Amino acid sequence: MIDEPPAGSLDHLRPQRDEPPPPSPETGIVSRAFEGIGGGAIRIAQEVGGIVVLSGQVLRALVPPRIDRRELVKNLYKMGNRSVPIVVLTAFFAGGLMTLQAGPFVIKFGAAALAGWAAGYAVLREMGPILIALMFSGRVGANNTAELATMTVTEQLDGLRALAIDPVQFLVVPRVIAMITMLFALTIIGDFVALAGAAIVARVMLGIEWSTMYHSFADNLRPYDFFHGVYKSLAFGGAIAMSSCYFGITVRGGAVGVGRAVNAAVVAAAVSIMLLDFFLTYTTG
Amino acid sequence: MTTAIRLEDVHKSYDHRDVLTGVSLDVPRGGKLGLIGPAASGKSVILKLICGLEQPDRGTIEVLGQNIVGKREAPLGDLRQRIGMLFQNYALFDFLDVKGNVAFPLEQRGGMSPDEIAKRVETRLRAVGLAGSEHKLTSELSGGMKKRVGIARATVADAEIVIYDEPSAGLDPVTTQKIYDLLAADHARTHATVLAVSSDVVALAQFVDEIAFLYRGQIVYRGPAATIVDAPDPIVRQFVRGELEGPLAEVRA
Repeated sequence: MIDEPPAGSLDHLRPQRDEPPPPSPETGIVSRAFEGIGGGAIRIAQEVGGIVVLSGQVLRALVPPRIDRRELVKNLYKMGNRSVPIVVLTAFFAGGLMTLQAGPFVIKFGAAALAGWAAGYAVLREMGPILIALMFSGRVGANNTAELATMTVTEQLDGLRALAIDPVQFLVVPRVIAMITMLFALTIIGDFVALAGAAIVARVMLGIEWSTMYHSFADNLRPYDFFHGVYKSLAFGGAIAMSSCYFGITVRGGAVGVGRAVNAAVVAAAVSIMLLDFFLTYTTG
Repeated sequence: MTTAIRLEDVHKSYDHRDVLTGVSLDVPRGGKLGLIGPAASGKSVILKLICGLEQPDRGTIEVLGQNIVGKREAPLGDLRQRIGMLFQNYALFDFLDVKGNVAFPLEQRGGMSPDEIAKRVETRLRAVGLAGSEHKLTSELSGGMKKRVGIARATVADAEIVIYDEPSAGLDPVTTQKIYDLLAADHARTHATVLAVSSDVVALAQFVDEIAFLYRGQIVYRGPAATIVDAPDPIVRQFVRGELEGPLAEVRA
């Protein structure tokens, strides 16, 4: 069970981000290197620990669900609807590029019937979910961090607490739910757009028949290929949501701090997406 | 007269820097206390400690008869509903318009119908001179207007304790006077306990009963607001009069 945080701002989430003391002139280069690596490892561990604690608080707020419906609907719209154009664009070209890369080789070896499978397999299982998640992180995650960080430095989070409202419950939970839900939905949309993109590029640029591409998709791709990518998007959505919210509400240092927080959130989300992808692909095939 | 706020030997430090080093202070119920002191002396920290937004390193803080040190967020929430706070930087919610900001405490607290909330908000906005600005976003407001929205939000629920952090900072003299008239009228209506921090000592002295001086992490003087200019403590006197020469300058140098 996760203990309720003690009163006193959100400091229990906030690691000490002080600069380490400068090494003394006598310190050797090897020692300095170890100090640097050790310091970096400690800082990463602190940030990961903070994200885990925040995740615990979000989960606890969901049992029983105490979600501000107005905030949830607003975020679903803002994060989902407004991301559709960029996701459609990304997915279309991801599908098209896969065909463009694989096409000449399958044609050369007389295996045009496999062009759809090659593009579809890569897009549904890997490229689609990852590219869409990275786009989502850049657009929605960064925006979310900036918004929360600005609210933090302008004392709006303290303002909520002064009114007896838990900022995690009121601000973070709806955003986490909205991001996970919307990335899941956008990945499904993106998958279909990517397949369409693959088929269109195959027909227009490589001269492969529509029916060949259709049968290549239908005969070779399994439903699992689709679900494998889609369920990964849930994990990616969670990673983007937690890192963007965490860096947003633990920011320090005014406008400069907001910039740093956005940078850290985007980097953390991208690394998390890659690590999760590797882990999930390795464990579930 | 019972005590609404009591601090005893409160210590607080940030990043190894001692900000409060044994603050003891009490405010009687219905009383109005002003808190002054040099910049970065920890005045806002005291206000946040009283509201439970920060926790002291050690010491006792009692608010409305409850010890709040070490309390968790949930029980503190019940107490915070009895406190109204105006933040130095307003802390207005930029995801809401003026009306939404003022209505927010009442909506979140529950127990009132939407019509009752609307009526209460309308009355409060008229009182602070913001009738007609209900649907403006906070980004469209001037500093004075933001301050008044913050005051309306802090007082809309008729809290038992109202905390004002720099209610007149950055405002012109006329607006400052309007703000303090507003605070005085509000106190006359609710008889709430008031703790106000301000750098504008002259205006503050017209509003509060007593003034305490925070210096080097401790309350070094407390006396009637009306005679603060002639306070017996030379440091307080110099600070209030804004004189360059004196013990305050020597110590700070």
